[in-house]
Amino acid sequence: MNDIEVDSVTKRFEDMVAVDNLSMTVEKGELFGLLGPNGAGKSTLTKMISGMLNPTSGTIKVGKYSIQDDPMKVKEILGVVPQDIVLYDYLNAKENLAFYGRLYGLSGRKLKNRIKELLQFTQLDEKAMKRHVSTYSGGMKRRVNIAAALLHEPQVMLLDEPTAGLDPQNKHALWKIIQSLKKQGKTIVLTTHMMDEAEELCDRVAIMDKGKIIALGSPSQLVKKVKMENTITVVPDKTSPSLIEQIKSIAGVKNAYTVPDENEKRETIKVITDNPDDILPDVVSTIVNTGTKVLSVQLSRVTLEDVFIMLTGRSLRE
Amino acid sequence: MNLKRSINQVAAIAKTDFLGVLRNKTAIFFTLLFPLFFIVIIGFTFGQSGEEGLSRIAVGVVNLDGELVAVNVTDSFNSTIGDLFVQALESVNFTVTGYGEYGDRDTNGTAAYAISRGDIDAILVIPANFTETLSFQYTNNLGVPVATKSHLEIYVDPTDTTGALITQQSVLGFISGFIKEYQEIALKQAPPDLKAYIEVVADPLTISISEADVTGAELQWIDYMVPGTLGLVLIWSGLNHASMTIATERTKGTFQRMVIAPVSPTVVLLGKLISALAIVYMSAFIMLLSGVLLFQVNLYWNIPVIVLGIFLGALSAIGIGLIISSLAKNEEAANSISVIISVPLQFFIGAFFPLSIMPEAAQDFGEALPFTKLVNAMQDVMTRNLPFDAVIPEMVYLAVSGLILFLVGTIAYRISMRRL
Repeated sequence: MNDIEVDSVTKRFEDMVAVDNLSMTVEKGELFGLLGPNGAGKSTLTKMISGMLNPTSGTIKVGKYSIQDDPMKVKEILGVVPQDIVLYDYLNAKENLAFYGRLYGLSGRKLKNRIKELLQFTQLDEKAMKRHVSTYSGGMKRRVNIAAALLHEPQVMLLDEPTAGLDPQNKHALWKIIQSLKKQGKTIVLTTHMMDEAEELCDRVAIMDKGKIIALGSPSQLVKKVKMENTITVVPDKTSPSLIEQIKSIAGVKNAYTVPDENEKRETIKVITDNPDDILPDVVSTIVNTGTKVLSVQLSRVTLEDVFIMLTGRSLRE
Repeated sequence: MNLKRSINQVAAIAKTDFLGVLRNKTAIFFTLLFPLFFIVIIGFTFGQSGEEGLSRIAVGVVNLDGELVAVNVTDSFNSTIGDLFVQALESVNFTVTGYGEYGDRDTNGTAAYAISRGDIDAILVIPANFTETLSFQYTNNLGVPVATKSHLEIYVDPTDTTGALITQQSVLGFISGFIKEYQEIALKQAPPDLKAYIEVVADPLTISISEADVTGAELQWIDYMVPGTLGLVLIWSGLNHASMTIATERTKGTFQRMVIAPVSPTVVLLGKLISALAIVYMSAFIMLLSGVLLFQVNLYWNIPVIVLGIFLGALSAIGIGLIISSLAKNEEAANSISVIISVPLQFFIGAFFPLSIMPEAAQDFGEALPFTKLVNAMQDVMTRNLPFDAVIPEMVYLAVSGLILFLVGTIAYRISMRRL
């Protein structure tokens, strides 16, 4: 069963086509990623799904409601986390959440309890929440930003670059929140231009460019489309044919060979595998057990960035 | 259920908007304290004096010269010299407004009403026998002119002692010059044998100077200025706040978040309107209280009329603000447009300076502003203690302009929803 159905949707801004005859579906409970560079049409698409923009043509359904015919019904079941931190900086977190809660029809004890739940869920310190939002760190603001979209317990969520501008620690904390939302059974559309985020979180990813979806599938399916392989590159102090044979015999290794390293005037071992993380310890221990020193190790994995480059000839960040 | 929910939403939007002013020092200054700052500065500078030094004195002329008068048992309607007198008055830098009658301070359209609301500085009543007297039409049985007096009445505004003195001296100076010129002409035209006689006869005017019936109380300019500053409240608290509210929310993105919630545009608009009205009333309360405490003004508190007047005036201010807020590209643009409009506008509403000292085009512009109507109505009600009936024309004007401007503001707001 689909929670979002986008059918032949086009959005034009005068002469510019931001979304070009795009169709896609998101299944109930799925965490669906929209990956693409700035200007690919991700935000325009999510704005149309949330009812902020009307499509020039095509139809959009959220749950069982059409955004064009029943916008209020769609808004009731949709929670939107905007890319920017959209909070009143002169209010504290509780006041912000109370405001948005009342917009969604919550009031009294129900609203109070829901705010308390969300402050716990997003791991926000209740004491700190009494200060004005303007005094919060970026990570705290992001978490309040997400909590504001969860007040009415939406069935479907649109997260627009929810971790933009965050340090790795705060980014991972937010990833955990997003993963627990998925565990609660929510259908989530996540727009991002960070491939690690899409790979880590998404069940399926649509890669967008110039208003169109140019690739769609699970992260692993998309990676397989690239005719590149995951490689472990080891620089030892010496090599031998027998060492290469021993490495080849390790389970999971598809191939192993040496290439000359002209700068260092020694040979480098390349190990081809599908699971570089899993077999790396075996490869290193095999080499060390022959009395050979390991000078350096490098993992080269195929990523969604490689997929995007293969499909468009450009980087995601261009 | 839906109504309850909508009311809850309106209340949430209004409260958040209101807190946005109360918790922002800059907003507090420009929305609430700036008008107060103005009243304090101008009140202490000019409050105890008046309009001395004005180059153009506004005189209301009640010219009765064309009216029926019996001359040697014959009816006469001649107004030739009275008209010449008015023309001469106009030519020497007085601003002259004609009135049909002296009237009283409660009757709109009369000279007494105009002086009581500060529209004119003095009233000059030209008597019905002015032309007949000055052209020696009163004669004895032998056809010889008899000494007859024509009585000119001058009324000045007693609420402004210094200003009244200047006005009085200026008008008397003009009359004196007019009589001198008249005597010279009369003597030139007189037959040689009657010259000595005419010299006595040709002093035909008596002049009385009275205080116009402005109000029973001894009033000063500040007594008019304090209720007049309610016009400023509309500009700074109504227009200015409303012009910023949606533009600021759009720039910060909070408006978009409201739009993606199940909230109708009407609910958002109502929330903003209630907040703006609350700010206007709060500002009005602060202004009036400050006026009473700082300047000990003597005002009449017809609360229902004051509340109604402010509400109707606020509709215009909020309507203009909505137009600015909806059409401006962002917060900065809205702020700039609002300041460009508000700063000059406050000088055209008659709150500090009477419109009569301004050029005619500026007077017409000022008179057309709803804020001027509110100033006039509030001065009538609060300073002159006039009843509601006396300000019905102003209230109707405020209601009509308020509804039109608020409607246009609503349309602009709806249009702005398309470009989120």
